[in-house]
Amino acid sequence: MIPWDKLHGAMTHFPIALLLFSTACDFVSVTFRKLSFARELRIVSFYGLAAAALASLGAVISGIALTKGDLWGRGYFAWHHRFVWPAFGLLMALAVWRLVVRDGMSRAGLCVYLVLMLLASGLIAAAGYFGGEILLSGGSVP
Amino acid sequence: MMIPLEIRGALAAIVTSAFILVATFAASGIYRTQITTQAEAGSKALAGENLAATGRRFFFQSCAHCHGQDADGGEDAPSLLKLQISGAHMALVIQRGIKDEMPSFAKKYDQHDTAALVAYLMTLH
Repeated sequence: MIPWDKLHGAMTHFPIALLLFSTACDFVSVTFRKLSFARELRIVSFYGLAAAALASLGAVISGIALTKGDLWGRGYFAWHHRFVWPAFGLLMALAVWRLVVRDGMSRAGLCVYLVLMLLASGLIAAAGYFGGEILLSGGSVP
Repeated sequence: MMIPLEIRGALAAIVTSAFILVATFAASGIYRTQITTQAEAGSKALAGENLAATGRRFFFQSCAHCHGQDADGGEDAPSLLKLQISGAHMALVIQRGIKDEMPSFAKKYDQHDTAALVAYLMTLH
């Protein structure tokens, strides 16, 4: 029997950490444009985002296996899923957009992208928080 | 007319994201149906005796000691009357336990026994 609970717990940390890191790199590179390594930060953020998107697939698959296909649930589960699905969709969309546009984004495009990255980071952090609450509560009502 | 790169990227992003979400939900639905069918087949073996009644017996053997005779919680264990989790998750907690808080009952109760226990816990809602 595959220990999906342990596997999910291990896998979820990658997309969370990578997305937050990618967002941080983007903001630092935009805020401090004159830094000598600002361009390198943008490259790191691109690969970080791509890795986060790929890692999120593993996290989602292990999560579905863990809940036996229950995509919503109740209590903390429902809260976890309320944030997970928008975060997952947004993460995928941002990764694809970045992959297509690369460095060819306009100023307006960059602003929208940064706002959405911030939103995705918030959503994924909230999903992680409620995931932790599920673990700590053993699934009981708050 | 040439469509700007950013717009093309946005369209690709929306389509890909929607496709992945729909595929995830569809695959999950199929998986859930399969699991439910399997669970129903497994529970038929216990259909002769009342599943919840068997679960109740197990509850008093192993759970009531900490969770209380009425399942409303004890000194060190929470109430089981308002559990808001799925049966599958209840079974998982019973089988695996909770680290430093609740022991695993995997060795004591097999899947059918656990299903009976879950059936009883469901009657407490």
